Amino acid sequence: MSAVIEIAGLRKTFRTLRRGSRVAVDGFDMVVEAGQVHGFLGPNGSGKTTTLRALLGLVNADAGELRVLGASAPEQLGRVAGRVGAIVESPQFFGNFTGHRTLRLLAVAGGVPTSRVDEVLDQVGLRDRGEDRVKGYSLGMKQRLAVASALLKNPELLILDEPANGLDPAGMREMRELMRTLAEAGVTVLVSSHLLAEIQLICDHVTIIARGRRVAAGRVDDVLAGHDPHEWRVRVAEPERGAELLRMVGLTVTVHPDDVLVVGGAPESELISSTLGGQGLWVRELTPIRPDLESVFLELTAGATPPRQSDGTAADDALPADTGAAAEPLIELDRTEGRRVDA
Amino acid sequence: MNLVRAEVERLAARRFVQLMVLLLAVAFTVTTATTLLGSHRPTTQEMYAAQTQAAQAVAAMEADHTRCLRIRAGEIPIMEDAGYVPADCGELDPARMERLPLATDYLTSVFVFSEEARGLLYFLIAFLVLFGFLVGASYIGADLNSGGVVNLLLWRPGRLTVLGTKLGTLVGVVAALSVLASALYLGTFWTIGQTAGVPGPLGGEFWGQLGAIYGRGLVLVLLTTVLGFGIATLGRHTSAALGAVAAYAVVWELGARLVLQILDVARADLLMLSNYLGAWLSGRLELWDDRGCPPGSGVCDGGTYVITWGPALLVLLALTGAVTGSAFAAFRRRDLL
Repeated sequence: MSAVIEIAGLRKTFRTLRRGSRVAVDGFDMVVEAGQVHGFLGPNGSGKTTTLRALLGLVNADAGELRVLGASAPEQLGRVAGRVGAIVESPQFFGNFTGHRTLRLLAVAGGVPTSRVDEVLDQVGLRDRGEDRVKGYSLGMKQRLAVASALLKNPELLILDEPANGLDPAGMREMRELMRTLAEAGVTVLVSSHLLAEIQLICDHVTIIARGRRVAAGRVDDVLAGHDPHEWRVRVAEPERGAELLRMVGLTVTVHPDDVLVVGGAPESELISSTLGGQGLWVRELTPIRPDLESVFLELTAGATPPRQSDGTAADDALPADTGAAAEPLIELDRTEGRRVDA
Repeated sequence: MNLVRAEVERLAARRFVQLMVLLLAVAFTVTTATTLLGSHRPTTQEMYAAQTQAAQAVAAMEADHTRCLRIRAGEIPIMEDAGYVPADCGELDPARMERLPLATDYLTSVFVFSEEARGLLYFLIAFLVLFGFLVGASYIGADLNSGGVVNLLLWRPGRLTVLGTKLGTLVGVVAALSVLASALYLGTFWTIGQTAGVPGPLGGEFWGQLGAIYGRGLVLVLLTTVLGFGIATLGRHTSAALGAVAAYAVVWELGARLVLQILDVARADLLMLSNYLGAWLSGRLELWDDRGCPPGSGVCDGGTYVITWGPALLVLLALTGAVTGSAFAAFRRRDLL
């Protein structure tokens, strides 16, 4: 597969007279390959939006290389802009324009046939409200309009910054289905969000950023597997005896008040079932405890706050004490084998 | 071309632009209606009476001149009630007057186009200057503030092209609207002069002078439009342009003028932008500084100095160019958050 987005060593520091300088992105790398639905996760202020804006030529990077569909950003963006649909954080529209007019003006400016306007309004479920003024739209409807504007170009690459903002559960489901449909049609989607469950449902790949640096990247399953604690939920008739037997074979066991045993250190279930069964304790429940994206995310970004510096002397305070690397080790996943490599 | 088309449509769809056009239409309608109501076509008798009064006024001026010449020649003595008798009787010579009394000067409740046209045109220019500045500032200010520019850059990621197209479209639309409004405005009052008043003397000199004012006014409208656009781009907001003008007026034109007077700075008026505006619009502005006169002599010719339209245009162009250049440079490297 070919890379449609390549970011290497992206750095960006914002400087203001009043608040000094603030490192937003600090040597960030990311690769999104064609056909992926790629989640981009990070805590508030971790550098997600800055990265996306730099990719779209809205923010000037201090250092690093950015390529979109093979074109260097921002210099050659014009060459590929017609193939990239994007929305960036809470897009605003003129309240007095109707949704239809808003899209039509963008279509005219971008040289897209205006017949596309009705199609995309239909696609995002706004066809019936297309002639209403945008100021009468709910936040979720404005978000749909933004997505519609990104879809106007019939893009090969769709970059969506927090597309689920303001959407109700039904809206989020529609958005999820829309992205799935687009992905099936061959559109590469890069979506940033703080709704981790959504990302887990939608995306096949993920990049996690904290303090302006990448802390994990790869297939969602592989990232989760890399953080699998190999724990099992076990129910037996005699919990105390069962715990003792399992401890005897070197497993860690916690007995919960509801007589559930949480057993750690067993890569496979056979060790547990044979140990207990061999002693006549029949297992009533044996369930693997799988990590979800939220727990992995929280683990990887624990304590991550926006890297803020009031002046030059505080620069190192915002980053870990050693080499300035993120608090957690960088997890690189070998794309061919899905192996975890701690760097 | 597509971008220009989209920008023209966006500009025309702006509420503020529509409101300003409506205000112009209302001002135009009110002025036309009051002019029509306050004017009538003079009867033959009224015209005859006015012509007689004008002829009498010219005759009186000639008599005063002749009397002055005779007094200065010693042919008649100066009486106490002789009135003004200058040392140089040429001052009273009707042939050297800039303008002799006309019949139209003695017509009451009659709209005389030739007399009113200049004032009407200045009013229109003032309105269009305000229109251009406010529309220029709000057009880009609202777009920067609302994220409209960011939306557009996602489609056309050429910052200078996008900003340049916006400015070009704005200048084109304001120029077209100004030409259209002026033609309609002056055409209407010319028609009123022809039908419900009198046109007055409309020779080549009249149209030449009016055309010069119109041309300079149109340039001023476009310069202020660009200036409003430039300041709002630099300040990222419509209010930046309004604030900058208010701050300049209060701090420099009022405050600094007072300070310069206290410090007795020579020809301080040359530092005031308003004088260059006035000089450009009127073609020539005469100013006075008593430092040019010998001490204690009071008013003298040596204290007079002039700003003509040429230097005034250079100052206005330099200011607009500097602001616009800075705006484009800032927008080119600015982070759009």
